[in-house]
Amino acid sequence: MKTPLVQPAAPTPTATVSEFIATFAVILAAIVGLLLFDTALARVDVAERKAYAGREFASGQALIAQGKVEAAIEHLRTASTLDGENSTYGVALAQAILADGRPTEADQMLSPLLERNETDGATNLAMARVLAKEGKLDKAKAYYHRAIYGLWPRGADKSRTAARFELIDLLARANAKQELLSELLPIQDDTTNDLAQRKRIAHLFVVAGSPARAVVIFREILRRDTKDADAFVGLAEAALSLGDFATARTDLLAAQKLMPEDSSSLQSRVALTDSVISLDPTQSGLALPEQVRRSRNLVQMTLASVRKCLGVQAPQVAVALDSATLLLVSGRAAGQAQSVEQNLSLAEQLWGLRRSRCAPDGQDGALALIHGRIAQ
Amino acid sequence: MAAIKIRALPARLVRLVEDLRRKEDRLALLLSLVIGALVGLVVVAFILLTGRLTALMYPPGGSGWRRIVVPTIGSLVTGYLLFKYFPLARGSGIPQTRAALFIHDGRISLRSVVGKFVCCSISLATGIPLGREGPAVYMGSGLASVIARRLGLSRAQIRSLIPVGGAAALAAAFNTPIAAVLFSLEEIVGDLHAPVLGSIVLASAASWMVLHLVLGDNPLFHVPGYHLVSLKELGVYVVLGIVGGLSSVAFVKMLLWMRAKFAKMPRASLWIQPVAGGLTVGILGYFVPQVLGVGYDQVERVLNGDVILKVAITLAVLKIVATSVAYASGNAGGIFGPSLFIGSMVGATVGSVAHLLFPASTAGPGAYALVGMGTAFAGIIRTPLTSVIMIFEVTRDYTIIVPLMISNLIAFYISQKLQKEPIYEALARQDGLHLPRSSSRTHGAVPLVSSAAREVPQSLTPEMKISDAAERVKDSALESWPVADELGLIGMVRTRHIAHALDQGKLEMTIERLMQIARRSESDKSVDMPHVHNDQPLSRALARMRESGHKVLPVVSRANVRIMLGIVTFADILKEFGVESADELDYRDHPDL
Repeated sequence: MKTPLVQPAAPTPTATVSEFIATFAVILAAIVGLLLFDTALARVDVAERKAYAGREFASGQALIAQGKVEAAIEHLRTASTLDGENSTYGVALAQAILADGRPTEADQMLSPLLERNETDGATNLAMARVLAKEGKLDKAKAYYHRAIYGLWPRGADKSRTAARFELIDLLARANAKQELLSELLPIQDDTTNDLAQRKRIAHLFVVAGSPARAVVIFREILRRDTKDADAFVGLAEAALSLGDFATARTDLLAAQKLMPEDSSSLQSRVALTDSVISLDPTQSGLALPEQVRRSRNLVQMTLASVRKCLGVQAPQVAVALDSATLLLVSGRAAGQAQSVEQNLSLAEQLWGLRRSRCAPDGQDGALALIHGRIAQ
Repeated sequence: MAAIKIRALPARLVRLVEDLRRKEDRLALLLSLVIGALVGLVVVAFILLTGRLTALMYPPGGSGWRRIVVPTIGSLVTGYLLFKYFPLARGSGIPQTRAALFIHDGRISLRSVVGKFVCCSISLATGIPLGREGPAVYMGSGLASVIARRLGLSRAQIRSLIPVGGAAALAAAFNTPIAAVLFSLEEIVGDLHAPVLGSIVLASAASWMVLHLVLGDNPLFHVPGYHLVSLKELGVYVVLGIVGGLSSVAFVKMLLWMRAKFAKMPRASLWIQPVAGGLTVGILGYFVPQVLGVGYDQVERVLNGDVILKVAITLAVLKIVATSVAYASGNAGGIFGPSLFIGSMVGATVGSVAHLLFPASTAGPGAYALVGMGTAFAGIIRTPLTSVIMIFEVTRDYTIIVPLMISNLIAFYISQKLQKEPIYEALARQDGLHLPRSSSRTHGAVPLVSSAAREVPQSLTPEMKISDAAERVKDSALESWPVADELGLIGMVRTRHIAHALDQGKLEMTIERLMQIARRSESDKSVDMPHVHNDQPLSRALARMRESGHKVLPVVSRANVRIMLGIVTFADILKEFGVESADELDYRDHPDL
């Protein structure tokens, strides 16, 4: 006879109500006890991890100071792994990796940090540096701005100013004059900046093509300290940029008097200024024949510069030579005043050609200054 | 008045408790939360204590000899504890959890839970390269089982709390609440539609909240945002899937092979066997320290792109060896964590090579390490859905999910093809446990073997003569007859073979000899002892009958296949399905059956 197989039924587990309540009470007590135990243990653990991470971070920073970037990365990575919440370690690691020439990796490292805290100034600044290194200038500028307007837990003003100056330097290197000027304007009247920074700002105004603002700052500095040689040099730079060569010479000589030990570099600048003054066909008070002579000289000098950069056989140079010859022939027939105008116009065209095709040449300093003045 | 209130309060409490016990769904809800919180806290304590102990064992700047001595002594201590006090705490804990669920009515002793906690803490802290997740699952399930039994719940309720505890533990151990739910359903229960889903979700959430309360909101790995650089990259991810799948198979096969070798050693050596693992790990760790421990810090480095090709290859190979020998020799710890380590190194290797060859159109090796983790997990653990969600949760990065799915599925497919049995089932089988596969599990009202099984007839013995056996079976209509020795079932012998031997006059031949001859015969497909389990569907029994050619199958215990619980016949199965055939054997005429 078939007997269906049935698992032998175990007695149904039972517990009295009091056992049930007692078990629950024990469980709840265990939960409370474990919560306290775990919390205490976690605090100790976190404190030790943070301390260890701090030591590793310090070691890493010390190694970076010694120029041992690769060894520093190991320590900084350990610090970052141990205390992932501390973005300082992550940022320091990313910067070390960037210094090691691995911008892509640094970029990947900073992205999650920014996702976690997109307003952190230091992280944004680090990302800006990475992007600048990668040549992504537009993105870099955006991150510099986030750094400037971001949150800095300590020394916010100083950090923001440093970030802004970094951006300014980047823009100056990229010759982005308009953007440079827009970055300089908010800080030109910032009285919290020290003297060195004021001078730097003034100098950058010259670079940004706004020498008049530089003059205002340097004069203000000289009002406070009439013996500030750097301010006189700065004024001279601004004056040169404005085409006021005589004032520039005066300022340089004043600086030379205040800094006799640095006379060689100043002497060369004075010499440059003298050269410019002697060549400038637009200088006021010159007799017409002298203007004609100087303008012809300017055409020849500019042509020589163009030849030097493009080569004699270049078709542009040939065209320019034809124009110059034609002009010199026709100049005899035309009036002297008209001749000066034509010479200056030709020189300007040639200079434009040179600038569009060739990199700036230090030997053409005088020419650049004269053409700068003519263009004004 | 106050006295009345004090007396009334317990009565109300008693009513409340009785009411709660009657309403199973409410009790399940409450227990899920309580178990989730408790298990979460226990697992957090386990993680923190293991971490503290590791810091003690390996202080910063410690000398190299520690890396040999500490794992060796650690494995010696755990080996003795496991042998003497906690034999069930050996290994991962996932197969044991499944055995508790499917074989032991959800019973896991408190002693085993304590043993797992102690032994795994020592094991992992001393640098044994095994994972904490499997043991945590066992601890969680064990605590759920202990609580359920202490509360006097029914067996069904106890069983239902096993995956609840497991999910809570994994959520805390791995900081992945969704993957914990999926793993519990996919691997432990083996059924994504299990009715305990709600409880599992609740427990997982409660445990995860506790984890965050204590340890804060930190993902297991901080990973940069990776994305697909170009569509061509998908080809590299396909290659990663293939390499990951092959590596997974190599790891699983090596581990099982080594474990089988250790299992053949004398039982008396059981306590010293883990030292073989500890010493091997120590020697490897002396030269390559990254081999020690579960190595999540190394994984994080690789995920962040800090990869040197040679190191990644070395670590992948050494970790496979170290984990295999450590696990096979009987140390306490799981393979969940090592799978991720191996996967990340394999991924980093493939990624580094790809990036060297196609720098413009591929991401850095970190992205491949990330996908590699999931690939190895899918290949080794064989839970593809869990692996995708887990990597997403671990990294909290959605952008890499498509390549991850592609690589995972390829690795899963390769693993399935080259290694038929999933690792946890194979490990259980090595321990003599026949765990049900998800494919063999039933949904709804499918008739089970238990409904058609009948009592075991008096078995034949191997030394029994043909003449005696023929006498025993002569009045039976059974076509096959069980043969058992003093340790239990050894096989089935066909009645017609006995009759044939009898006709040939081989009266003195033993049943054992007859079985040997039958096994050699090509026509007999029952070389491996065919059997079924009580909880398998009848369709499975029919399939087994077709495969083996036997119309009678023994019904055996999942805990020990030599323990026969009954037999099931072809006719009984047909009858269970309501099919009555004229030429059927009528067992009702044979009272001895």
